[in-house]
Amino acid sequence: MTRDQESGARSQESASSFQLPASNRKHSLIGTSPQRIEGRAKVTGAATYVDDMQFGPNLLHGMLKHSPIPHGIIVRIDVSKARALPGVRVVVTGEDFPGYTGLYLKDRRIFALDRVRYVGDTIAAVAADTPEIAQQAVDLIEVEFEPLPGVFDPEFGASPEAPLIHPELGNYEAVPFIFPQPGTNVSNWMKVRKGDMDKGWAEADLVYEHKYRVPHIQHVPLETHVCVAQQDVNGKITLWSSSQSPFAQRNLIAKALHISHSKLRVITPYVGGGFGCKAGVSMEGAAVALAMNAKGRPVKLRMTREEEFYTTFVRQGLVAIIKMGMTQEGRITAVHNRFYWDGGASTEYGTNITRAAGYSGTGPYYVPNIHIDSLCVYTNHPVGGAMRGFGMPEIHWGIEQHIDQMAEKLGLDPVQVRLINCLKDGDETLTGMIMHPTGLSQCIQKAAEAIGWTSPPAPLLEGEGSHKRRGKGLAAMWKAPAMPPNPGSSAIVRMNEDGTATVSIGGVDIGQGALTAMAQLAAEGLGVKIEDVRVNTVDTDYSPYEWQTVASRLTWSMGNAVLQAAENAKLQILQTVAEAWNEDINDLDIIDGQVVSYRSEESRSLRDIAVYGMQRPDGTWIGGPVLGRGNFMPEYVTPLDPETGQGPRAVVHFTTGCQAVEVEVDEETGEVQVLKIVSAYDVGRAINPDMVRTQMEGGAVQGMSTALLEGIILQNGVPRNPNFTDYRIATAVDAPLELESIIVEVPQDDGPFGARGVGEHPMVPTAPAIANAVYNAVGIRIDSMPITSEKVWRELAKTRP
Amino acid sequence: MQPFDYLIPKDHAEASALLAAGGGSVRPFMGGTDFLIRARGGFIRPQSVVDLKVLPGMREIRQSPDGWLVIGAACTMNQVAAHPLVLAGYDLLAQACNSVASYQLRNRATIGGNCCNASPAADTAPALFCLDAVAETYGPAGARRIPIADFFVGPGRSALQLGEFLTAIHLPPAPTGACGAFNKLGRTKLGDISAVSVAVYAWEHDTETPRRDWRIALGAVGPTPLRAPEAEAALAADASPQGVQRAAELTAAAARPIDDIRASAAYRRAMVAVLARRGIEAVLAGIARAGLQAVPFGGVPAGSVSPTGVLREGRPEQMIGGAA
Repeated sequence: MTRDQESGARSQESASSFQLPASNRKHSLIGTSPQRIEGRAKVTGAATYVDDMQFGPNLLHGMLKHSPIPHGIIVRIDVSKARALPGVRVVVTGEDFPGYTGLYLKDRRIFALDRVRYVGDTIAAVAADTPEIAQQAVDLIEVEFEPLPGVFDPEFGASPEAPLIHPELGNYEAVPFIFPQPGTNVSNWMKVRKGDMDKGWAEADLVYEHKYRVPHIQHVPLETHVCVAQQDVNGKITLWSSSQSPFAQRNLIAKALHISHSKLRVITPYVGGGFGCKAGVSMEGAAVALAMNAKGRPVKLRMTREEEFYTTFVRQGLVAIIKMGMTQEGRITAVHNRFYWDGGASTEYGTNITRAAGYSGTGPYYVPNIHIDSLCVYTNHPVGGAMRGFGMPEIHWGIEQHIDQMAEKLGLDPVQVRLINCLKDGDETLTGMIMHPTGLSQCIQKAAEAIGWTSPPAPLLEGEGSHKRRGKGLAAMWKAPAMPPNPGSSAIVRMNEDGTATVSIGGVDIGQGALTAMAQLAAEGLGVKIEDVRVNTVDTDYSPYEWQTVASRLTWSMGNAVLQAAENAKLQILQTVAEAWNEDINDLDIIDGQVVSYRSEESRSLRDIAVYGMQRPDGTWIGGPVLGRGNFMPEYVTPLDPETGQGPRAVVHFTTGCQAVEVEVDEETGEVQVLKIVSAYDVGRAINPDMVRTQMEGGAVQGMSTALLEGIILQNGVPRNPNFTDYRIATAVDAPLELESIIVEVPQDDGPFGARGVGEHPMVPTAPAIANAVYNAVGIRIDSMPITSEKVWRELAKTRP
Repeated sequence: MQPFDYLIPKDHAEASALLAAGGGSVRPFMGGTDFLIRARGGFIRPQSVVDLKVLPGMREIRQSPDGWLVIGAACTMNQVAAHPLVLAGYDLLAQACNSVASYQLRNRATIGGNCCNASPAADTAPALFCLDAVAETYGPAGARRIPIADFFVGPGRSALQLGEFLTAIHLPPAPTGACGAFNKLGRTKLGDISAVSVAVYAWEHDTETPRRDWRIALGAVGPTPLRAPEAEAALAADASPQGVQRAAELTAAAARPIDDIRASAAYRRAMVAVLARRGIEAVLAGIARAGLQAVPFGGVPAGSVSPTGVLREGRPEQMIGGAA
């Protein structure tokens, strides 16, 4: 597809007035891999993060008082001793800020008021002259609890016997597509009903059901949550925040504290990783609450690594019961899936994860008869939130192992079974949406080919007589951006006197490379060199609106806005030049910062014209400072029927892909060494292929880490490993010995140059692919993550006489 | 972390006096890699620390006139692991030091601190048990020497008395034909606390007979590091493949593991047998290799690849029981 066709499809407004011959686009930056524009600052240590910012001697240090028990009534809070401690400036509790907040369901307070619901629940906050005094003050806060029985398992939590964690659920405000069940612990019940289940089971030659488990996972960003809040003399609050969502933070905090959006400013400099945990709001509200009582002094709140593990956001746990019918030929006839999500003490964000699991609940397959229940269950566990994949790694853990189990029982090749059933262009998805053009089949074929699916495993590293066995496994995936139907993006492209461009955006580069991709799109749209484009980090007072940096949506959504803004600036410039030169705008173009005419062969640097304008032949002036604007919001997503989950368009699109792995299993110790991971994803169009590949590599390693190592160990609600000593993540020596990344490009009709997102997807199928490879190697099936050495050893021991 | 004072003692006697006068509130300080984690976590709240690194001899490795190797307690793991005298005669200890934490941490962590924390999972301990190390301490009553097996008293408890601190580790002269192998199993390949560790060591009994003496010591499978004497004796009598298997089983029988969040007791016991067998096989292979080469004196030639196949630095050449 040519760029012209695309820009026509994308936006009538910006591209209607001029057409460029395709031959003039040979200098395209799209599909090239310039270096990260912020890379030098980051690797030299020059980049500024929130904790690097200097606030002078007035800075106060905040600290939170966390609940030590998982569930209980707060009988008494006594902060008098903390307040009396010299150096303590502010102490706030739930009585000061009793309102509810939340992204999809307002079920959360900044501070617990009447009861605590998990170990780590915030009860009070202190700001003091030094961190040490703040710690002493927190220790001096006395809290008396009346312990309540807890819920530590989502299946039990959904049962009528379970104690209620949120008796007020019926009063909570929810967005229209979330369905709380008052009087229970179920804060969202997403249903998908399609076809005729009896018919589906009758047509099947095999019906098989199995239960799969996923633990809570931590994101483990290099930089923990940190923010500084300060209120000025006019009452305006500034929040410097390590955030994926400066605008969502402004929105949620302003509403929770009943202040005007214009009186809250969020500034986000460079961010040291997020993976979803810095989406929405977690501890930032407490910092603002402290600042509102700090008489103008700035208050810093920074989570320790230990706090990061269980007091901000974690990935929800999942119990998935998967039942599938398949014919002898390998065609899926019916699926009945039950997802019990361990949502934790608040599900303000997690409810939408359970919705995403519902509308994606078959995996990337065509299934005619469907019954899916995705239940978001309150538990007395840490609060579930967004994490890379947003429910998809969790449900695919079961679905993709189930496909392999079905195939084996029927004597079929799992690759062929996936190719038979995987969604193809025009297929109807489980919610009745028509599948857009997708390269899923290609991804499966290419991944299988690259891992050598049909050839035997390579010889063992240690040769004959070794206790090691090799195996291969594969898993496919799909994921849609999970978000409200109308999340907006906007962008501004400003021209400078020297002909360079400054791009303002509201999305955050959390390491994925958004700044560089936006610079490429702006340079391409405007016709300047990438080194002549600067992209700003976010300041809500000056940056245009962006919903959140989540859902793998920035390249697609914010990219559309940036490209439109760049083309809008270009149009303004060319209109000026056309009039000054008395030429047809269709004969003009901008190439490498030079306005050129294909008719008169005149050329002029942007340096002279982008701010000061141009002189007409009669000596008067035209033009002026160029300010391009662009925005994007999907306008076609439809609601789904609450009882059936059916509707014409559940989501904007699905990114699809497949991973194939080869492992070596030590039969004596149970250790799993991942030898190779092949990733193949349909990204629509790779704006920057190197960065697409680094996403695939990083996702594969993170997926492998969760598959083999990770999980928060919770005993009666108490996290037992909230530290790097006992929450192990893969390091470079644990990474696969080989990574191969394959880019498939089936264009997205409304993406910039056909692009769609790929940030989250590369860790979605990794864990089940490894589980399938372990089965292939040694014949044991691990259905609960992670696949620890000890679990493999234990299962292997069972198979021995 | 609550503030504390940092004290530099002028000599051993002052260090001892400071530690004795402070009771538990004055803590000895060397590399600080464990200390700072505990202080930051609030598990200990010291008033002050006494930096023992500065005392004479604490950071020295030397050979004594009677042929013993004396390693100052504040020598770092990397210092020990790279020292020519250690590599020449005590490769087993170099392997153990190289397995601790990460390279960066080994620039700080000390061999003495590893012992004084008295963790059953201390990675240098099984090697020191095999090498018949002797701890030298200094306290209010002066210097004394404690066999390493008596130095470890219980989880987190050493034989040190109030006001007493470790000054050096003494290793007897390396016997002829000595060869050792250290293997450990953790959840990740690098930096994890051992769920199980096994050191195996053998040397020629004397020059008259072909018999070998063996030592096998275990970490993380008891309240202290411990030896497996029945396995050692069995191996001395029979090092055939059947004998090796039997010794591995006897080693597992000597373990006294517990269940915790890192591993179950059953898994630990089973892994002791696996790592013991692999260690014994590696030692036998090392001896066979050394026999083919001209070895100047006891032990594996300096700078060679250790019998486990683990390179001294960087990525393991082969993965044996997760040791790296």
